[in-house]
Amino acid sequence: MIDINQVDFSYGKRTKLLSNLSLQLEAGRIHGLLGKNGEGKSTLLKLISGLVFPQAGSLDVMGFVPGKRYPEMLQQIFFLPEELPQLTLSIANYEKVYAPFYPDFNSEQFDAYLKEFDVENKHAKINKLSHGQKKKVMIAFGLATNTKLLLMDEPTNGLDIPSKGQFRRMVASAIDDSRCLIISTHQVHDLDSLIDNIIIMEKHEIVFNQTLETIGQKLLFRVADRNDKSEHVLYSEDTLRGLYQVCRNEGDEDTKVDIELLFNAVLNNTTEIKKIF
Amino acid sequence: MNTKFSINRLGLLLQRFFIENAQRELTFWAISTVVFMFLHETSMEALYIFIAGFIFAARSFRAFTYTPTGMHYLLLPATHFEKLLTAIILSTFYFLAAILVTYAIGNPIGTYLGNLILGYDNTVYYGLFNLGTTETLNMLVGFITVQAIFILGSVYFKRNAVGKTILVLIALMFVAVLAEVLFVKIIFGTTNFEFHNVNFDLSDSETLFPGVKYFGEVLKYSTAPFLWIVSYFRLTEKQV
Repeated sequence: MIDINQVDFSYGKRTKLLSNLSLQLEAGRIHGLLGKNGEGKSTLLKLISGLVFPQAGSLDVMGFVPGKRYPEMLQQIFFLPEELPQLTLSIANYEKVYAPFYPDFNSEQFDAYLKEFDVENKHAKINKLSHGQKKKVMIAFGLATNTKLLLMDEPTNGLDIPSKGQFRRMVASAIDDSRCLIISTHQVHDLDSLIDNIIIMEKHEIVFNQTLETIGQKLLFRVADRNDKSEHVLYSEDTLRGLYQVCRNEGDEDTKVDIELLFNAVLNNTTEIKKIF
Repeated sequence: MNTKFSINRLGLLLQRFFIENAQRELTFWAISTVVFMFLHETSMEALYIFIAGFIFAARSFRAFTYTPTGMHYLLLPATHFEKLLTAIILSTFYFLAAILVTYAIGNPIGTYLGNLILGYDNTVYYGLFNLGTTETLNMLVGFITVQAIFILGSVYFKRNAVGKTILVLIALMFVAVLAEVLFVKIIFGTTNFEFHNVNFDLSDSETLFPGVKYFGEVLKYSTAPFLWIVSYFRLTEKQV
């Protein structure tokens, strides 16, 4: 669905924000794009949607060059940015104005998502809502567009704790084999049990791109005793509950992937982890 | 789905404008009606139309003043051409239609009230323009060109499009005057003609060079389309 080849990008004449970046993403998955602030996660989403153009390399999104911004492509992309647009419309009018641009938009779904988020008054002006409420409206609208590609930049920022759970449930139910969702975030806990492919950016490059299944096969996540000096340990964090460790999965054990621990392990021991995959 | 042009999408873009700006447009219509109650059959209404017009045109792409709103606008599933055409239709033809209607309402009310309260005996004129005259045609072409300049300013400048476009226009006029002085100096070796004029008016047949009038005519009618084309390419290159 998305094919990015050796892309370079920088804002102005500054140092390159993305350098020689290549990435292939399939439909039917929820991809978690993780990285520290300023690594270029949002810029990568903008490149995919055609909001910015690469200085070198090529992008193919659903058979289109995103920078051309053809309507056929745009009607299959919904991008939820971290900062929301200023909208003076009511929710009902927003639907009336923008839904016709998306041929697969489903009004019943939109109403159901709003209801699940406890946004009941469709006549409320969007700019009068709190940031969290606005985000809920935009998430509900984005999911109801039924676009093939959904891009979400820090979607859980501003959502309260119950809404984060609702968000996970709604996203999980909305994704099928034909849709692809990329969620960029640095709040990895919010994506727990949601994403099935993890992409990690470090120093403006993709340093890790694996499915949870593969990660589970090759890495072991465990809490160990402080005296444990196993040679298979790739990364460990000392906490009150003991040593949280990422190890080579030599015994083919089945453990739950701890995304935050994996993220820290990749950033701290990139070379060794790359060798394993 | 047509990649090049879809009348349906154009309609949706126009509908979007009217739903999003309903309150603001009603206010503008009301203000214009009141303005034309007081200003009619003077040269002041032309000034009002031009100033209100270029402010309207300079707001065509105001979505770009705030990055997330600009992103939202650029990702709307419509072609750049449809988005630009919407801006041209609204800032040129819709605006002019709104002005004509509000003049046709405001002028009779103003004249009637003037006659009633102040004891005047003025005749009511409903039309703003004397249709079919060269003067009206020139004014319309001038208006469309000014709108095209400010549409380009709106897509070019992220913030303060009105002010920045006016500054650029002043700078361009300054350069044109300098070029004219330089041209005269090169041709005649002096800029001092002891109170005689050198006529550079491109629309005048008694100008310095015969035939230049036709060049002036071409320039008059082609400036707005040229600026629309530049605006189109600027829009396609826009990154937010």
